[in-house]
Amino acid sequence: MIGTFIDINMNKFDDQATKALLERNLITGNQYEEITSYRNLNIFSLNAELKLFLYLSVLLFTSGIGVLIYNNIDSIGHIAILSLLLIVIVVSFYFCFKKSKGFQKQETTFEHPVLEYLVLAANILTCVFIGYLQFQYEAFGTHYGLATLIPTVVSFFCAYYFDNKSVLTIAITGLAAYIGLSVTPQDLLHNVSFYYDRSLSYSAVMLGVLLILWTIYSSRIQLKTHFKIIYLTFALHIISIAAISNLINNYYGIWVVFAFILTASTFYFYKVSYETKAISLYVFMIVYAYIGLNIFLFRLCDTLDFSSIWELFILILPVYFIGSIVLFIKLIKTFNKEIAA
Amino acid sequence: MIVYDKNLLNNLALVEEANALEAAGFISKEQKVLIKKELPAFKRQSNILVRLGFFLLGAFLYLSICGVIALIGLTGSNSESTFFSICCYLFAIIGFAGAEFLGHQKYYEHGLDDAFILGALLNTGFAIAITTEGYELNIAVFVAMASFLMYRRYLHLLSLLVFCIAASAVVFYGMFEFGSIGEMLIPFAAMLLSALFYFFTKRIINNLKENYYYKGLLFANSYCLVLFYLSCNYLVVRELSVELLGSEILPGNDIPFAYFFYAFTFIVPVLYLVQALKTKDRIMLWASFLAIGFSIYTVRYYHSVLPIEVALTLGGLVLFAIAYFSIRKLKDNETGLTFKPDRINNSNAILNAEALIVASAFGMKPEAKVPDSPMNYGGGGFSGGGSEGTF
Repeated sequence: MIGTFIDINMNKFDDQATKALLERNLITGNQYEEITSYRNLNIFSLNAELKLFLYLSVLLFTSGIGVLIYNNIDSIGHIAILSLLLIVIVVSFYFCFKKSKGFQKQETTFEHPVLEYLVLAANILTCVFIGYLQFQYEAFGTHYGLATLIPTVVSFFCAYYFDNKSVLTIAITGLAAYIGLSVTPQDLLHNVSFYYDRSLSYSAVMLGVLLILWTIYSSRIQLKTHFKIIYLTFALHIISIAAISNLINNYYGIWVVFAFILTASTFYFYKVSYETKAISLYVFMIVYAYIGLNIFLFRLCDTLDFSSIWELFILILPVYFIGSIVLFIKLIKTFNKEIAA
Repeated sequence: MIVYDKNLLNNLALVEEANALEAAGFISKEQKVLIKKELPAFKRQSNILVRLGFFLLGAFLYLSICGVIALIGLTGSNSESTFFSICCYLFAIIGFAGAEFLGHQKYYEHGLDDAFILGALLNTGFAIAITTEGYELNIAVFVAMASFLMYRRYLHLLSLLVFCIAASAVVFYGMFEFGSIGEMLIPFAAMLLSALFYFFTKRIINNLKENYYYKGLLFANSYCLVLFYLSCNYLVVRELSVELLGSEILPGNDIPFAYFFYAFTFIVPVLYLVQALKTKDRIMLWASFLAIGFSIYTVRYYHSVLPIEVALTLGGLVLFAIAYFSIRKLKDNETGLTFKPDRINNSNAILNAEALIVASAFGMKPEAKVPDSPMNYGGGGFSGGGSEGTF
């Protein structure tokens, strides 16, 4: 972590390293010339920093507006705030549509980087607006699902039309919310949903499968293939966490079903992570499989009741971990070799 | 002193350079693969997720070995209390031995070595704490020595972080020994020392010959930069004096030298920012951003200038304006300060977290779940209210 941060600082040793590469004939003289002349431009780019600022500004502004409206519900000023909000949304979308190149199947970007963040802001504000309408006026009646579904549809539209990954994640969380799941990263970590309701776990697995099917379909018709990794990441985490929490919680034999689900998903994501060359998928696939395996082993030992020789387990544990480490080193090595080729 | 082969360390620098050049498009992928094949390398995990995974596994292994020792110690020895008084020393020795073994096996920045090195340091701290019955100064001194040793032997950056923190703790608790005058002078001592070490490390970096010390020195240098700001930040000084020295601040009163600390809180971030843009120092630039953020937080902590929602909204607008106009100004610069992404040194890694942050802050939640909380009703934005603590 610290290392990667320090890497972005220029230093005199970079030059030395380039020279050493030249001396060992690992790069050509022409390449060396090109590199040094580029370095001599002395570029100090604020690209990432300023984009981060735009991003933070969107987060601050939309959070502020959200709280502002919530605090001012039922007061006089709040119609004014709402109309202001609507104007801001309309103006933002107007600019986005005007400057966008229209819908495209491949990856596209705006010419001006600010617009990407304007899309995000407009989209979040739309969600706030619709949520508010539902809360105050019950605009969608008692069909509470609609109040989630409409922002979701809007988000999916924005994500695909303007090619915005951040909006896509909002859309996916919306889709999950529609079927009753909370898949924001912090909730997935605490996996709150699955403790209360087993049927939710089935829905979670279904949702994961749906996301996977959608990625397969969109790669077939070449639709925004760079979104694939986001869908797959959500699918992996949703399915695995649902399966693992059921491995722990169920004592009526249903855990066997989820053990099969976890095995199937591990197998699929093993294949797909090689296909997409995505190490993040690969690592989490392994982690979930390992956790699942350990729970399985624990259950096995629990049923067979070894409690009289528990000392032996403690003595075996280091060997078990050394074995796992050797296995993982091998897995990572083959993966790295495969994606480098 | 260093356990690793110097050639491997030099090779690592070359391979990293080759990676950077390939990412920048100066050399082809085949060439990079060839360079990697040509140069023998460490067992190293450059991906942070993989390294974290191996760190966890290493920690499990370490714990299980300690478990075996505890089992043998508790069943084998007659008195449990003697075992408990020395067990942490034994655990620390395992850590040192493991780190040495992995070092000889050419594990560097792998994750496994991190687990053993950090575990050794942690257990050293516990061991000294048990022996001295929690005497802070002694713990800090020994941990500082051990972590510095670990850095020199394994060039381990996290150990250096531990060393920096422990060394600061030595200064802090050392000043306690001088009674109430010492306590009052802690902020100034920390400020002077961090300034001193900042220029000291800067000088070493400028005269440095070996590239493998560069990262560590730069890290220590950046630490001094952060410590310098924090040492005399108003919030830090005030809260620490309440927390640790037990001094009570009555309403209407203020801490001594309050004006100095307030002035310091505002002047230093601006100074950092100006200096960073002048010398093109990216680390100082980030330090200045964080310092500005923390200074704003400091003010808001004691004086509620604006209600939170107005502050957030206005802050967002101001930040947007700053970013927008900076981009407009820098957009077409070809050299020096620019908005064009740098081909070689780009910090895009930070931007990759964007989608994750959005999902955490604005992800929609199911509505029926918590009927008594209107914050969760449909609109994802409402849950943004919950995220205000992170700013």
